[in-house]
Amino acid sequence: MSNAIVISEREAVSLPQKIMKARRLRTVKQIVLGIGFPLFLLLLWELAARAGVIDQRFFPAPSRIAAGMAALLSDPGERERLLFDIGATYHRLALGYVIGSVLGVVTGVTMGLSTNARFALGPLVNATFPTPKLAIFPLLIVMFGLGDASKVALIAFGVFYMTCLSTLSGVLYSNPLHHDVATAFRIPAWTRWSRIVVPAALPSIVTGLKLGLGQALILVVSAEFVAADRGLGQFIWDSWQVLDVSRMFVGLVVVALTGGAAVLIGEIMERRLIPWSTH
Amino acid sequence: MLPLRNGLDRTATHRSVPVSRTAAISTRIDRSFSGMASPRPTALEVERLRRVFLTRNGGVVDALSGVSVTVGQGEIVAVLGPSGCGKSSLLRILAGLDADFSGDIRWNLDDSDPRSANRRLRSATVFQSDSTFPWMSVANNMRIGMAGLTLDAAEVQRRIERYLSLVGLDRFHNAYPHELSGGMRQRVAIARALATEPLLLLMDEPLAALDAQTRLVMQEELLRIWREAHSTVVYVTHDIGEALVLADRVVVMSARPGRIKAIRDVPFGANRSVMQVRSAPEFGALESELWGLVAEEVGQSLAKPNGEA
Repeated sequence: MSNAIVISEREAVSLPQKIMKARRLRTVKQIVLGIGFPLFLLLLWELAARAGVIDQRFFPAPSRIAAGMAALLSDPGERERLLFDIGATYHRLALGYVIGSVLGVVTGVTMGLSTNARFALGPLVNATFPTPKLAIFPLLIVMFGLGDASKVALIAFGVFYMTCLSTLSGVLYSNPLHHDVATAFRIPAWTRWSRIVVPAALPSIVTGLKLGLGQALILVVSAEFVAADRGLGQFIWDSWQVLDVSRMFVGLVVVALTGGAAVLIGEIMERRLIPWSTH
Repeated sequence: MLPLRNGLDRTATHRSVPVSRTAAISTRIDRSFSGMASPRPTALEVERLRRVFLTRNGGVVDALSGVSVTVGQGEIVAVLGPSGCGKSSLLRILAGLDADFSGDIRWNLDDSDPRSANRRLRSATVFQSDSTFPWMSVANNMRIGMAGLTLDAAEVQRRIERYLSLVGLDRFHNAYPHELSGGMRQRVAIARALATEPLLLLMDEPLAALDAQTRLVMQEELLRIWREAHSTVVYVTHDIGEALVLADRVVVMSARPGRIKAIRDVPFGANRSVMQVRSAPEFGALESELWGLVAEEVGQSLAKPNGEA
């Protein structure tokens, strides 16, 4: 009898520990696999390159790329060139993103609230949305010239569609009960806009802003491939044309890191702007 | 939009409304111990209200046809009926959410005192499902309900404190809705409506989404809150017991087209409590009588092909 009680007490202590242990094991696994699998792929690549299975001229072994990258980054002239290109790209990105997202959100909210605006702009926006944005780049060059303006316009265009359409659906499909409350309590128009309509649509708006970041990055690199004398896209394309693969990979890594940073910024934006949606 | 006759409608204090013939047999318990012999001033008169919906292929569906009802100041009126009987249509019209109706609605707002102008809403609504704004604290949820009124900051604060404590949430000013239970959120919605000190408090099955125990507790709470806030209430429900416990008068609506089928005074007195009403001998008789009235309508609305539109 007393034995049984002792056993159950011991179990009561060890059970939470057991659960904790399982949880910790899960976290460790997640980290090890998340880092380990990409490293495993790099190792495969390295082995394939050394064994001569893949063409070293286009896919040099990761170790050789890393050595090339280190050599390039230790050269002050090259480093300055890279920073200059990064600066040019980020400048275009920031300008185009801000212009596109502000226009997109404002247009989206307006279309959501005014049926007239929706009737007038809806067909236009929906018909032009599926056009690949890069296809209108020549047109934008004609309109804005070969300089930065045409690239900024292209990015703004791409971001505009993402944010406008998500904002619109956010306003249209947010909880109709919230609109009923606003009407039933005779809440004045401006208060209704700023305190109810926009916050209610915020989860969709943030989704649009996140999608816009990715879109902006694609467009800026593409535009710089096609027509630019500087920028990360130009840096990559230039390296490719002279078959300097290590240099090309430096550009790729910077673009990839920028993309990662964009995703992170998106997550932070989401947590800051809509703290209630995580619950 | 709606005809408002500011406080001049004192003559129209008739408590009876056009009722179908079945209602005439109801006098056996009327006023037996309700003590409501003195007529109250009118808060609201609804006359010949009609609302139709157009179906996709242009057919006309009557949601309300000729509904007339008078609500006295401080009176609790329950509107009872099966789903699809137009009780929600009636509530949406009274709430100002639906302007496509014909008929008259006369609000007896006491605007004779200029100081009271725009200090209370004509009607405030508590909805069936959670209608709090998740991005606002409890206090701000209440504050935005008063955004259309002309109140100074001190008065807004006073009302927030008064009505939050009335619903038993005084310590939750800064809480967010996701930190509260469903019943507590519904209390916030009730406090938000009360804070506008509405001429008419509209409630659309406010307890329907709560579990059975919470519902009983909330019924008791509502009786106390209404008493302390001197509320005039139109309370839509499909729960017969709830209607009898909460209301001074029960209006039974017929299935489409929505009409008033019967009106019953509930004789349990102003200081009733939920358990006292439920155990009163008259309760069972009234409940089964109302059930009879509603059951006929449930059968009818089920028999109709597009009863859900």
